[in-house]
Amino acid sequence: MAAKKKRTPQAQNDSWVVVAADSVIDTKKHDSDPAFVRLRNPSTDAASLYMLGAGDAQMYEVKAFEEEFHSWFVGQTVQRDGRLLFVTPMDPLFLILPYLIKAGKEGKFQPVDQIIMDEEFPVCPRLLSCTRSLASLHHIAEEKEVGSLKFHRYSQEKTMNWLKKKVERTVVALKKKNICVGEGVKSTTYIRVKSESGYHEEDYLRYAHGLISEYTSEDLSKALLKHLQLPELTSPKETEPPSKKRKLSDNAVEAGEDYTKFNSADFARKPPKKMTAAQKTLAKVDKTGMKTMSSFFSPKGKTEKK
Amino acid sequence: MDLGPFETDNSVSCRLASQIPDVCKTEDCCLGIDEAGRGPVLGPMVYGICFCPVSKKQQLKDSKVADSKTLSEAERENLFKNLDEAKSYVGWALHIISPNTISTSMLQRTKYNLNALSHDSAIGLVQYALDSGVQLKEVYVDTVGPADKYEAKLSQRFPGIEVTVRPKADSLFPIVSAASICAKVARDRVVKGWNFAEDLGEMDTDYGSGYPNDPKTKAWMLKYLDPVFGYPQFVRFSWSTAQTLMDSKGVTVHWDDDEEDGEKAAQRQHNKSMLSYFSASAGGKDQNPSHQTHRFLTERRLKSLCTL
Repeated sequence: MAAKKKRTPQAQNDSWVVVAADSVIDTKKHDSDPAFVRLRNPSTDAASLYMLGAGDAQMYEVKAFEEEFHSWFVGQTVQRDGRLLFVTPMDPLFLILPYLIKAGKEGKFQPVDQIIMDEEFPVCPRLLSCTRSLASLHHIAEEKEVGSLKFHRYSQEKTMNWLKKKVERTVVALKKKNICVGEGVKSTTYIRVKSESGYHEEDYLRYAHGLISEYTSEDLSKALLKHLQLPELTSPKETEPPSKKRKLSDNAVEAGEDYTKFNSADFARKPPKKMTAAQKTLAKVDKTGMKTMSSFFSPKGKTEKK
Repeated sequence: MDLGPFETDNSVSCRLASQIPDVCKTEDCCLGIDEAGRGPVLGPMVYGICFCPVSKKQQLKDSKVADSKTLSEAERENLFKNLDEAKSYVGWALHIISPNTISTSMLQRTKYNLNALSHDSAIGLVQYALDSGVQLKEVYVDTVGPADKYEAKLSQRFPGIEVTVRPKADSLFPIVSAASICAKVARDRVVKGWNFAEDLGEMDTDYGSGYPNDPKTKAWMLKYLDPVFGYPQFVRFSWSTAQTLMDSKGVTVHWDDDEEDGEKAAQRQHNKSMLSYFSASAGGKDQNPSHQTHRFLTERRLKSLCTL
């Protein structure tokens, strides 16, 4: 084995492998193309990648499957990253919600196009063009109509009920897809022969709540937990006592036996040698039936006698 | 010798055999095993067996079969013709182990070394002779690895047959010489007329002997190194000659069973130092304490992106 392989820094790609529904790129009905956009992630409050479908009619989230040691062969080229992008439909209300909550603190009814604004993410008003957005705002806000104008105000109560419904629907989906929701460490490669039926409704609820929390702020997630009447889990770490240090005695340690008759050089233990990567690989090789190197240098007569 | 079955698909191993002489099914027979093409970086390794009735040993000796290494190619071809003509009492069988098989065996996750591959090939051929009804009583083998161990392995595998494993058996026993001629002739023919499965355009087939120290072979390997794929299947990837060239001239490829050590690798694999579990802030301080991705996503290696 030659020298250690060097890792070249990840180069930028100019193409991606994407799984998306045909509807994402269906431009027949709409005049504008679908576009990747950066929007505020409601859960992390940082930028995340989303996609607006053709004509901004539908919101999609972008998730990447990423694992080490993967590459793509695409046509006649090799793509270094083995990343697989999934573009999946998403309810735009999740992204609208943080802006409504922020505006709701003022307690006033406001037109939504005044609420959904973000200097950092200038594309965010386009969220309102999605077919579902305006039609479903009543799930999370109170509405008032004055003439032809509509005004909205965030409602915590409505939002909780809406999120609860989301959790319940997720539970149904989890059951249908046989997703393992039990606690404890599970191997991803471990295939279960019999389905685990010992799950309680609470396990499903908790799991679904966790999934929905990927789309909401932490405060909202906690409020939802209460709303679902699930007790908060306390981590055992906090209750752990601080680790103790062993006390050192002040008394001098005396030898029980006299070892001085041994030569100190004999006694000093050699530190274990560190093997190089090449030696390690060699050590793993199946050597059955192979001759040792030294056997080739021993006198010839020896082998003939046998 | 019809190499057709191998040439139609030379990415896998293949067995070729002569007719079994009737006399071999009734009389006690001896069998010799030898191999050709163990060292080259190019082309297949060929295992050959030859068998004949014990009573015909002298006749075989008289046909002047000798260790294939001492013969010119023309002499070998000639002797093979003689053997083929003596089909009333001499039978042979060959196991052509394709270079691709050698590469994939030696480079797979659980390494399967060349000696093991050789032993298994030899055993397979002896078993083939037995299955075909040859009355085997004596087997002579040129050794691979320590002779006594190999002899013990074969004797145990084939009880009732007297197995003799000797270094240089190909010059000591005519039946082994005959096997060595069959193997060598097959290897020469296969290498000469190699069917490249890859579309490489106008091929330069002047690759010399195929041994790593042959300058022609070296030049050829340099010429046909593809930065992404490495080599055609004609090359044994497991040979250090090929590996060194691919490491230095090709694109770096990482496999998940590559040995990497040191802190860098650990960091790359997101391994925590064992010590970190014992420190006061055990695991409490992740990079982003406020947000922990749900296990539905982490278990499926899914994550959000912030840029493409």
